[in-house]
Amino acid sequence: MGYQFITAGSLTHALELLEQHGQAARIVCGGTDVMVRLHLKRLPECVFINIRELEELRYIREEDGWIRIGAGTALGTLEHSTLLLDKAPALFQAAQVFADPNVRHSATVGGNICNASPSADSAPSLLAFDAQVVIARKDGQRVLPIRDFFTGVGRTALRPGEMAVEIRFRPNPNSAFVKVGLRSAMAISVVNIAASADLGQGGVMKDVRIAVGAVAPTPIRADHAEGCLRGKRPDKAAIREAMDAIQMDIKPITDVRASEEYRRIVTENMLRRVVRKACGICENEEGADQ
Amino acid sequence: MSQRVAVSFKINGKEVTLLALPEQSLLRLLRENGYVEVKCGCEEGDCGTCTVLLDGLSVKSCVTPACACEGHEVWTATGLSLQERIGQLLRNNFAKYGASQCGFCTPGMVVTGMNYLMNGGTADRHAIRAAISGNLCRCTGYQKIIDAIYYTAKELQEEAAG
Repeated sequence: MGYQFITAGSLTHALELLEQHGQAARIVCGGTDVMVRLHLKRLPECVFINIRELEELRYIREEDGWIRIGAGTALGTLEHSTLLLDKAPALFQAAQVFADPNVRHSATVGGNICNASPSADSAPSLLAFDAQVVIARKDGQRVLPIRDFFTGVGRTALRPGEMAVEIRFRPNPNSAFVKVGLRSAMAISVVNIAASADLGQGGVMKDVRIAVGAVAPTPIRADHAEGCLRGKRPDKAAIREAMDAIQMDIKPITDVRASEEYRRIVTENMLRRVVRKACGICENEEGADQ
Repeated sequence: MSQRVAVSFKINGKEVTLLALPEQSLLRLLRENGYVEVKCGCEEGDCGTCTVLLDGLSVKSCVTPACACEGHEVWTATGLSLQERIGQLLRNNFAKYGASQCGFCTPGMVVTGMNYLMNGGTADRHAIRAAISGNLCRCTGYQKIIDAIYYTAKELQEEAAG
């Protein structure tokens, strides 16, 4: 039998192929995750459905108060989008430090979330935006909050025959992303974190959403930390409280990149940075520590 | 066993049809067919020595499916430095500034450098460092590689200024 490789000529064609091949089908676009898994012999025989030719999945646009991103859009496109820079800086900043410039030419935002790595760099920002994933199949589509999309390490809510075609969210200029990795390029995040705040009178956070990666089997929302910040100004006391609370949200493990203890300390400190950055207190990450 | 399939694309300006396995990387396909200037390093997308230009953008050929290149255009370091004028300038500057120690990272550095120069990169050492951040040089000869790209950008800027 072996592997097969089929290039889809249109989205309709891709969805037909997905339906036809069911469990055996595997979508490939940029290839940057799939090829590594093939190399490591961790990918059983399958039918690759190549969606790289589908221009209809490559877009970033603002429509009816949503920012809509086609699943086949490369991270390299995101990092040059002035729309994201102005209206969704958390995702813009994540794209800027995603893998390295050459990988960003291939890797796509849809691939990043469907691969469902706990440390996926686009995930915390999308979670902090309460993004929705538009999922298509041959005979229809459904929309899922991204919070329900990740179900485990490498696992998503996608069923056989389905594919993610769009990610959409409400823009928020008061958002930010911070990552700690072991080198400045091609680093798998030790911890990554995003915050998105709705600022009201006097800099009070009417609402705030915080999401963290690489500290649990899936990227997660930090509910306890959010609760400590909601309705408050991002001052030292509120942030200190949230830094303690976020320990209840995360379940980090020790692995080749970092220990559990280190991840816990780093998460706290990054929470402070990312909240201050999102609220525009200090653009400069270095200065944000004070 | 997987069946080989014909993949037609342009490489270094020439149309070719090569037989690829469905699961094969562009890197393996190129090396099998004599394009051995594309080096095989980590094969996991980490080191960057296998970098080629695909449709004018630098990508890592080890994580690019060979079959996905059907109908596209690929350039390697050899093609760029022999056939492209900016490539010739960059090649000469790699030699002039000693930007190659063991030479293993060089093809990838040249292609990533070309991507930088062809997409409007300027003589800015900080930006050049960021541009080559996904290409490892285990001889740690980065400074000279940055010099070679920097002075090529400078020459191009001076030319453009007349």
